[in-house]
Amino acid sequence: MDLLLEGFSQALTPTNLLFAVIGVLLGTAVGVLPGIGPAMTVALLLPVTYNVEPASALIMFAGIYYGGMYGGSTTSILLNTPGESSSVITALEGNKMAKAGRASQALATAAIGSFIAGTIGTVLLVALAPQIGPLVVQLGAPSYFAILLLALLAVTVVLGSSKLRGFASLFLGLTVGLVGTSTGQPRLTFGQGQLADGIEVVVVAVAIFALGEALWVAAHLRRKPLEIIPVGQPWMSKKDWRRSWGPWLRGTAYGFPFGALPAGGAEVPTFLSYVTERKLSKHPEEFGHGAIEGVAGPEAANNASAAGTLLPMLALGLPTTATAAVILVAFESYGLQPGPQFMSANPTLVWALLASLFIANTLLLVINLPMAPLWAKLLQIPRPYLYAGILFFASLGAYAANFSAFDLAVLLVFGLLGFAMRRFGIPVLPLIIGVILGPRLESQLAEALAISQGDLGTLWSEPVAIVCYLIIALLVAWTIINVVRPASRREQDATPTSETREGANL
Amino acid sequence: MTTTTPPARAGTSTTRKVVDTAQYGFAGFLALVGAYTVYDASGIEPGFADQALHPATFPYVFGVVLIGLGIALAVATARGDVAEAEEGEDIDLTTGTDLRTVGLLVLVFVVNIALIDWLGWAITGAFLFAASARVLGSRHPVRDVAIGVALSVGTFYGFYVGLGIPMPAGILDGIL
Amino acid sequence: MSVIAAYTPDEFGRAALEHAAAEAVRRQTGLVVVNGTRGDALVDTRYAHDDEIAALQSRLAADGVEVTVRRDVAPDVAQLVLDVAAETGAALIVVGIRHRSPVGKALMGSVSQRILLDATCPVLAVKP
Repeated sequence: MDLLLEGFSQALTPTNLLFAVIGVLLGTAVGVLPGIGPAMTVALLLPVTYNVEPASALIMFAGIYYGGMYGGSTTSILLNTPGESSSVITALEGNKMAKAGRASQALATAAIGSFIAGTIGTVLLVALAPQIGPLVVQLGAPSYFAILLLALLAVTVVLGSSKLRGFASLFLGLTVGLVGTSTGQPRLTFGQGQLADGIEVVVVAVAIFALGEALWVAAHLRRKPLEIIPVGQPWMSKKDWRRSWGPWLRGTAYGFPFGALPAGGAEVPTFLSYVTERKLSKHPEEFGHGAIEGVAGPEAANNASAAGTLLPMLALGLPTTATAAVILVAFESYGLQPGPQFMSANPTLVWALLASLFIANTLLLVINLPMAPLWAKLLQIPRPYLYAGILFFASLGAYAANFSAFDLAVLLVFGLLGFAMRRFGIPVLPLIIGVILGPRLESQLAEALAISQGDLGTLWSEPVAIVCYLIIALLVAWTIINVVRPASRREQDATPTSETREGANL
Repeated sequence: MTTTTPPARAGTSTTRKVVDTAQYGFAGFLALVGAYTVYDASGIEPGFADQALHPATFPYVFGVVLIGLGIALAVATARGDVAEAEEGEDIDLTTGTDLRTVGLLVLVFVVNIALIDWLGWAITGAFLFAASARVLGSRHPVRDVAIGVALSVGTFYGFYVGLGIPMPAGILDGIL
Repeated sequence: MSVIAAYTPDEFGRAALEHAAAEAVRRQTGLVVVNGTRGDALVDTRYAHDDEIAALQSRLAADGVEVTVRRDVAPDVAQLVLDVAAETGAALIVVGIRHRSPVGKALMGSVSQRILLDATCPVLAVKP
């Protein structure tokens, strides 16, 4: 508790508060804006890490993360275009409510639900993180290797409908992670001295998320504008409050644990929350025509999962969503390595970050409730400026890493890869996670084998490792069963699912 | 296989088998990356004597898997597997892919890379913005350049004043 | 022969439409309502909603005006209006004009001005 209070005193300094406000505003704006999401924004802002204090930068990124979740709900309600994959479910009832003239109530229940879920999620994070920290420190290299393996596999297999494409993405990422120097020898450097230290993860993240997405949109530029529903000040009646609080709490209960799981994300809990509310509702006939429960529950689930995501990221250094992956890159560019020793080694930073999450959440509610009509105006920015701006800031971000034109060339190459991946339906998340976790996978294996002097048996010498391998075996078996199913059934199930949505929120 | 294709996404709603020939290209790319990784790994020495993990082990594994994935994707393509191109909030897949715009943007990018060391970010950044906006369909050259200059000079000073990082000024050295 | 109304869902567009409808009745010709968009933003407030167009069509039809609505996505909205005018052999184009400062005009351009200057038939500029 003392630590948390100290965290607050850190986070409430004028500078850090300013960064929190910037983060929250930017996050909401990009959540609303088409084609830009929190992961892309954090990637574009990575240059600030070269000179801003770690606490301030991370506070801003946390604000962007929470704000993006928030802004996404605005577009899904007013336009029926979910800005984030996690807002797909919100759009179902939210847009119906807006069409029925209840846009204000839909926005209000989304905003207040997000606040409540985000706050409870952060409380859980604050309560659980210190408990998990000491447990994690005891894990040896074999366990850690197994956990990394599980995380990589889970991200690849659980999300997306085409496993083949998921693995293609993962192994491309792992291979990119190899570039650099190992035991004093160059690996995959093409004889380029500038690659000896590896490819800048910042550049890869900006290329895949920002440049690849901008090029992909550029190839599909012109189309009819969407019909936006005009909105006034968000507000709710007493009856709306009564119908909302249950879904908010249940949504939070779904969201947090799923966010904390590797490959959990927000899609599953928002869907579960929606189904639950439809079952429990006293007004089941309203579902499909704008039921407020169908907005309140999924929105809460979505924000609680964002808080949940931070648990494995801080405790294990495992990113489970695109945004978390890019925030991890930010940690690394400070030379900080989230994971077993991180929490105990940097208590001030961690607690300031946790405290700032509470602040970000409150700011979101205070700022966003009155500003909803203003945010909707952002949607009128012409695409040429929006995407020229993304290209501009992507180049700036890559160039600022070393002020070398070489990094810009790398940016372009990976941007084109990102474009091709979108064209061929290859999910981008496994690639970026492969780039980040690949080197760690190798170093943990090397460490484990060095301790055991080359005896492979050490890999399953720890209970945690064995559990991980069992889950991996189950996942693999499940995948194989899915792949070898009779072709006729597979064709029926070939409807596009979360995979295609995954990048929509970058 | 069967005569049904996955639900029409990119306007390919035909009942006959569709082969996405461009996808062979991506399959080839995967196999090529894999092959080069294996080739590169073959030149790596064992490293230090007490190193239990050979530095070429991971490259070998990843390279071989990538070759396998490339082949698998090629086979799937031949059997009528069609990519579900990524949808997005701001993407309408029914209009087809406009490669000309993408090509022009890449050209703008290459020009930026070629000139940035000589002219400096303040100039090439403005060019990058204005030219990209033009390629993307803006019809207001004056406004494009004005915004571009404001952004590039603004970020130049933002880095200098805000972050304390002097960016190379290029040809404008001494003026900015 | 027809009368063209350059329409936007605001007071300027409505003023243009009102005058164009009156002209169409007086000249006993058809009315073509053009509501174009550059289609370069997710939302364009100058592009009318579907139900608004439907309401407008039935209202004009009830007044005995023979109305066609053209809603196209075009890189240049002024050119779209001129193209439709040429295509339908327009006798008159009606536009609603708004005040723009010189700087605003340089930066934003002006659809009405381009129509006024480039049209080959008479143009009626109205204010709300």
